[in-house]
Amino acid sequence: MASINIGNAPKNSAVLPFYGTGALYFLILSFMLFFAAPDLLFHYFNPHILGIVHAAALGWATMIIFGAAYQLLPVICEQDLYSERLSFLSYCFLAIGVTILVISFWNFFTGFWMILGGSCVVIAAMLYLINVWKTTLICRQYSIQKIFVLSSAIWLLFTVSLGLMLAINLAFPFIKGNHLDILKLHAHAGLVGWFLGLITGVSIKLVPMFLLGKSKKERLLRWSFVLQNAGLILFLLDGFFFGTSIRFLLYASLILSGIILWLIFLYDVFKNRIKKAVDFSMRHTFAAMLCLAISCVLVPFVYFFSGTKWAILYGTFLFLGWISSIILGMTFKTLPFIVWNDHYKKLNGKVRVPLPKQLYNEKWLHYQFFIFIVALLFLALGILMMRLLWIRIALLCWIMLAVMYLANVIKVLNHKTKILDGNSIQ
Amino acid sequence: MEIAFNDPRYSDKAIVLTALHNVMDPELFVNIIDLGLVFNIEFKGERTIVITMTFSTRACPLSDSIKMGVRNVLSMAFPEYEVDIIVVWEPEWNFTMLTPEGRKLLGLDR
Repeated sequence: MASINIGNAPKNSAVLPFYGTGALYFLILSFMLFFAAPDLLFHYFNPHILGIVHAAALGWATMIIFGAAYQLLPVICEQDLYSERLSFLSYCFLAIGVTILVISFWNFFTGFWMILGGSCVVIAAMLYLINVWKTTLICRQYSIQKIFVLSSAIWLLFTVSLGLMLAINLAFPFIKGNHLDILKLHAHAGLVGWFLGLITGVSIKLVPMFLLGKSKKERLLRWSFVLQNAGLILFLLDGFFFGTSIRFLLYASLILSGIILWLIFLYDVFKNRIKKAVDFSMRHTFAAMLCLAISCVLVPFVYFFSGTKWAILYGTFLFLGWISSIILGMTFKTLPFIVWNDHYKKLNGKVRVPLPKQLYNEKWLHYQFFIFIVALLFLALGILMMRLLWIRIALLCWIMLAVMYLANVIKVLNHKTKILDGNSIQ
Repeated sequence: MEIAFNDPRYSDKAIVLTALHNVMDPELFVNIIDLGLVFNIEFKGERTIVITMTFSTRACPLSDSIKMGVRNVLSMAFPEYEVDIIVVWEPEWNFTMLTPEGRKLLGLDR
């Protein structure tokens, strides 16, 4: 039997600000969507949609993912996080950068402010990459999770750097190619390289942990990594040098094969799980996977069918369906444990204390799941049928969802230490 | 986790075992003995209790809290003893290590 070392969780100040700000951004994003509802019926290259997409990708998704990753890295690597100071700095740069950037896009302030916001986001991505790099360097053992997390951090830096170039190009044109073609490369580097890579890496650690499931099919994950990244690199190189062509379907197939291998692994874990009951957090994850599958089906529609609604629908299922659903569920699988550890670690075994799941309102989480399904269905149908009223109803539901989620996050963050009966167990 | 009847420290180890029943995995809300996380209890020298244990996953974010729980209950049962916790990954934990009570608590036999 070999004794091992376990990394300590970072201080809460290195993690919790990301969750609080991310939840707030989700509410802001929902209001932005509501006010810009008519824009969902037009081309995606307009100031409001650009503002919304950056609020979703950076203010909401990346913000929470940074926090979760800083918490999870010591767990994956069995070593302490390299620097808590760097993680807090990355929070400051990301929060300031995304706020400036979203305001700039919404009002289409090209030039100084947009470039400043983009630069702050690039610095945040650099700080994140340094922290991930340094933590995984001291990692004792090879793990596929580590490779996914590290490569996704590199893709993030690539994506935001390309985004900064595009922001500069809007004010001082210097890119010879078509701005919209480069924008597609920027978007997919982010979606596949950053989000898909990171979500794959984190999910193959968390899902077995939460379901108490095991799979011996780890080999699939290595192939998944190769296919996802090969597909993306080929797509970017071909797109950059030769422009968009039908060859992209080949690259999309490679990425899709990588996704399928990953999902087969998760299904194997699900089949071999010990915890039979699937809670609402995990249901959110399953709904997310369904949204990802729908997005994949929509890819040929975006290319072959005229009209911008397919692109908007594709983006909706990716950002509001896939990424948001995962975060909406996983927040309550991670945040309560982080806060619980801080309050009750020292009391465990001494007195009766609340369970982590008692730190948030479980009923609200049930309602949250159902509102999410209704809101997403209405929104998708509204976009598909080009019905503004349906879109507005869906976005009202979306605001309710965001309020409920934010309230539950605040409830966890504001938790005060409680001893259930005050009696010692001995 | 069983203690041999002919073990010279049988009664002390039985007290340790009872105490460890009070340490819960906060996610599963099942105690660490019924989860099968504790492999060995040993009294070393005059004043040291050595607990050899594992976690349900290497990535267990609550491992610190569970280890703290072990220290807390043992320091109450044996205030004059040091507690040494050795965490191992071999053998790797799996559901066959659950006790019948653990299986029942997790709803596996329904």
